[in-house]
Amino acid sequence: MNLRDFHLWIVVAAGAFLGALGVLLAVWGNPENSGICVSCFIENSAGALGFHENPRMQYLRPELIGFVLGAAVCAAGFREFRSRGGSAPLPRLVSGIFLMVGCAVFIGCPIKLFLRFTAGDLTAVAGVLGLVAGVWAGLKGLGGGVHLGSSREEGRGSGFLVPGFFLLLLVLFVARPGFLIFSGRGSAAQHAPWLLGLGGGAVLGALAQRSRFCITGGVRDTLLLGRRSPLLWGLLAFIAAATTLNLATGRFHLGLYGQPGAHLDHLWSFLGMALVGWISVLIGGCPFRQLIKAGEGDADAGLVVVGMFIGGALVQSWGIAATAAGVSLVGKAAVLAGCLFVLGATLLFRERAPA
Amino acid sequence: MTFDRFDRFHGLLLLLVAGGLVLLLAVAESGGGRSAAGVDKAMEQDLDYQARVAFVQKLYGPVEDLRRDGQLQQALLKLDELERRYPGEAHGFILRGEILSRMGVLAEAVASYVAALRLNGDYVDARSPLSRQTEIRQLVDDGLRILGGQARSHPENVSLAAAVKNVHYLQSRLAGGCE
Repeated sequence: MNLRDFHLWIVVAAGAFLGALGVLLAVWGNPENSGICVSCFIENSAGALGFHENPRMQYLRPELIGFVLGAAVCAAGFREFRSRGGSAPLPRLVSGIFLMVGCAVFIGCPIKLFLRFTAGDLTAVAGVLGLVAGVWAGLKGLGGGVHLGSSREEGRGSGFLVPGFFLLLLVLFVARPGFLIFSGRGSAAQHAPWLLGLGGGAVLGALAQRSRFCITGGVRDTLLLGRRSPLLWGLLAFIAAATTLNLATGRFHLGLYGQPGAHLDHLWSFLGMALVGWISVLIGGCPFRQLIKAGEGDADAGLVVVGMFIGGALVQSWGIAATAAGVSLVGKAAVLAGCLFVLGATLLFRERAPA
Repeated sequence: MTFDRFDRFHGLLLLLVAGGLVLLLAVAESGGGRSAAGVDKAMEQDLDYQARVAFVQKLYGPVEDLRRDGQLQQALLKLDELERRYPGEAHGFILRGEILSRMGVLAEAVASYVAALRLNGDYVDARSPLSRQTEIRQLVDDGLRILGGQARSHPENVSLAAAVKNVHYLQSRLAGGCE
């Protein structure tokens, strides 16, 4: 580890800011242990757009808008915005759907996994183990020749569509047309002041774009490189910042029981996060990283984001999302279907040596 | 990159359509845009919810009256009658839980509250007109103390373990989270 490496410090700063903002947004009004949760935010935003009818989960989260637009502006400013894509579009769309399935069964994305963990929620341990197992499985796949193909730079401008869509969402958020729904009750009614969410999200999006920070990437690089991995130190900075703030704000409650937004179906927490880790490695990043890459002009990541919105609608409409009562039969079947999808993709997208 | 007549024509058309869209939205906004759009899903949802709350409170009014008068057995019988007509209605479970709690039947009271919350999370939401947050907090405190203590003394008792699991569910719902 080279302490003079500027990139290392950008990664650490991004991790620390993510951990701090994740706790602070909950202090400022977001749901408990969900100051930042990409999957929950996408489910809420899908509901606000009318994609599902759960009246307790409908709010257009400005943090999501901030992530993408912050990344887009930062990429453009540093001349890193590249319109690129064309690699296995439909599998990436379906991957986005199953990323949401895995997150919904665990009740949280990899960021929320560690926010829960740093708040003393021991039910997150199964999720951490699952994420590591999934990342390991994904690495084995990559090592075995599983490859979705590389994206190509293209001057056609498809990379502008997702940032453009989120710019439209910002306009809709401010204008509040009648077809947009904002829950008056439930977890979607709990939100930080929108300017804080949007501004914090934009700063985080910019930091994440510069640093390439990614939770599953941190786990992946740790398995590959050990302590030499800058992303490991970013992840540790995240954990340290979040734990410190949780303790300072009285939000640290060590235990298995009575944790907000958590269930006791540990096997399915493990499998849900394993699915997320596995898919994330194969498509090049966790749900948060996909948003950042989409902001940079990566249309492949943009398709994953579209898939995540579809998944966000499905997990609420079809009862896939787990609750504090546990995981439904449909949720369990959906996770297993996701495993079938990844296993099938592993077999179909493997580059084999000629006989 | 050079732009020929084809590019200039389509570029101009793009600007004209964009300008027209902005003008349309600006005129609609100044003339009462939300009503002109004819769609206000949030308002419809809110009206539906208020109507539902009013209906539920009226429907279960007789049960609440019997409970207030201390006629708890008659209240339970009235609830059974309503549950046959409206099976799966969360408010019935909540009232049953309140009555059982008052009768001192703690485990069954907790189970009723759990059944209610699984159907409708509004009862644990402080902002909801249906909120029973205070009662649920008290139930959790009593449950952890009484049922938790009994379960620790009799770890082999399956029904006590299930009752404690229900208390933990209520505790988790009170803690919040995305649900």
